[in-house]
Amino acid sequence: MIPFSRFPTAAIEVTSLSKTYRTRQRSIVRAVDNLSLSVPAGQIFGLLGANGAGKTTTIKMICGLITPTSGRVLVNGYDVAHERSAAIRQIGVVLEGTRNVYWRLTAWENLLYFGRLKGVSGQPLKARAEQLLRELQLWEQRNDTLRTYSRGMQQKVAIACALVTDPPLILLDEPTLGLDVQAACVMKEWVIKLAQEQGKTVVLTTHQLDIAQELCDRIAIMHKGQLVADQPLSELLHLFSQERYQIRVKGNLADLRAACFGNLTVRSEHGEVILTGAIADQATLYHYLTRLQDLSLPLLSVRRVEPDLEEIFMELLTRSEKGEQREDRVLSSVQ
Amino acid sequence: MKIAFLALSNEIHKRILIAWNYKFNLMSQVVLVTVIFVGASFLLGKGQFNPNQLSTLFIGYIVWFYARITIMGTSMDLKDEAEAGTLEQTYMTPAPSEFLLLGRMLAMLFIATVMVLLASLVLLLLLHIPLSLSWAALPVLLLTLAGLLGFTLILGGATLVYKQIEGLADLIQNLLLFVTGSLLPVTDFPGWLATLARTLPITEGIEVLRQILLQGQSLSSTWSSGSLRGLVLNSVVYLSAGWLIFKWSEHIAKKQGTLGHY
Repeated sequence: MIPFSRFPTAAIEVTSLSKTYRTRQRSIVRAVDNLSLSVPAGQIFGLLGANGAGKTTTIKMICGLITPTSGRVLVNGYDVAHERSAAIRQIGVVLEGTRNVYWRLTAWENLLYFGRLKGVSGQPLKARAEQLLRELQLWEQRNDTLRTYSRGMQQKVAIACALVTDPPLILLDEPTLGLDVQAACVMKEWVIKLAQEQGKTVVLTTHQLDIAQELCDRIAIMHKGQLVADQPLSELLHLFSQERYQIRVKGNLADLRAACFGNLTVRSEHGEVILTGAIADQATLYHYLTRLQDLSLPLLSVRRVEPDLEEIFMELLTRSEKGEQREDRVLSSVQ
Repeated sequence: MKIAFLALSNEIHKRILIAWNYKFNLMSQVVLVTVIFVGASFLLGKGQFNPNQLSTLFIGYIVWFYARITIMGTSMDLKDEAEAGTLEQTYMTPAPSEFLLLGRMLAMLFIATVMVLLASLVLLLLLHIPLSLSWAALPVLLLTLAGLLGFTLILGGATLVYKQIEGLADLIQNLLLFVTGSLLPVTDFPGWLATLARTLPITEGIEVLRQILLQGQSLSSTWSSGSLRGLVLNSVVYLSAGWLIFKWSEHIAKKQGTLGHY
């Protein structure tokens, strides 16, 4: 249904994209600051960041719903600013929030409306709508208005509406927000299916890092409008693995007698004390082990550990903050 | 172009489907407006229904009813969609966005026409209002509605940027009832108010409709007298200004990132 892309290798090319707003106090806010990234076709790409990091603004600039202050967005080779019509046809989007669809209309009416909105009509549209509703197990309820649906069912319809014209690129802004565990699982299965079976490019933003870790091939992390990381998930997970250790000793927290173990996190589990965190060098590691020996705590194991995405996310944000503070200090000393 | 017309018809279809969900609200509006007309004509007739005054009042009131539905409908509709989150989704179309708005407004006019016909039928039968219908009134009504569309586009543009303008829209539609000659002919107004009234969107239309339907004038005679020319000028100005202001507001909303805000 959708015309072939101009450049099949890159689904999205964002170059030096910036968005600044002027607040009521006349100060300037940089929502997105000189962002450049490339999303290869067929990948699940996670765009992560804290609230206000610029994720939603970026998604909306990719869709042409917000005009960038500067920079360029290409969607399958089409410039969103100058070839809007062709670019829009490449995209199916579910924006953040609970209502991307009309609650007063039925699922069937919603799908036909959004299909025609994208320029598809007649039998091909009806066949596609039926296929999607059947796959999402909503065919029996197709003539019910969406206000009678559960939140999970409404989100399914929102995704079906984004897919009804079979676009090669799907943008999902917080797709699992507010969903129960079961509905979130269905959503995750669908995202994987879209990428792996149908070869679609999926860009998703989420606060739920476990979901990003489970789904994404590549992760970009934004902080205060800037990109602080953009790497394949596996590389990102290895980024700090060399520095992290887990030490397990027999005993409980009281046995540590307020001994200090730097930045290590300490927890007690089933009669064991587990110390985890970054240890800069071997000398420090041996120092900690000696201290545990002095406390007469039997050593169970010492091993290097892979951090999870949440720890990496927090580490990158901390580093980014420190970098900013250093820059501020340099700037203030220059001034 | 096919996409544009598909988007247009799609939008009209959607709005009518949604309006059908609110059929009881719409019906109660028809009843309310009918009751208000009966009350207003009784008061203006100083305790009785004067047939000649009823005809004059009826034409003005019906045109104002159109204005009320389209002005309130469009601004509420855009605000509701922004609130619901569907407004941004409707912008994800390869068709020019102005066709979506046009579809929205044509649907609103269709709904308004059904309501106006119902209210008119009740009033004509109930009060035995003497009115000789003429085909010449149709182009005049369409011209009046074109100007009204332009005016609604201005409010629609303001809604895209500021969102919370229902209060202003409500104030405007109520003001239109009193200062456009809907209740009393503009010729009865003081000079300054008559001049102001003629710059508003439905005033000229109401006057020309009265000349055709009550005085039996032809289109050519209203053209010669200048009243039809005034209506054409008024409608062209409002339609053009409305279109430009709406596009500009859309540009501002996208620049400020407030298209989906509420």
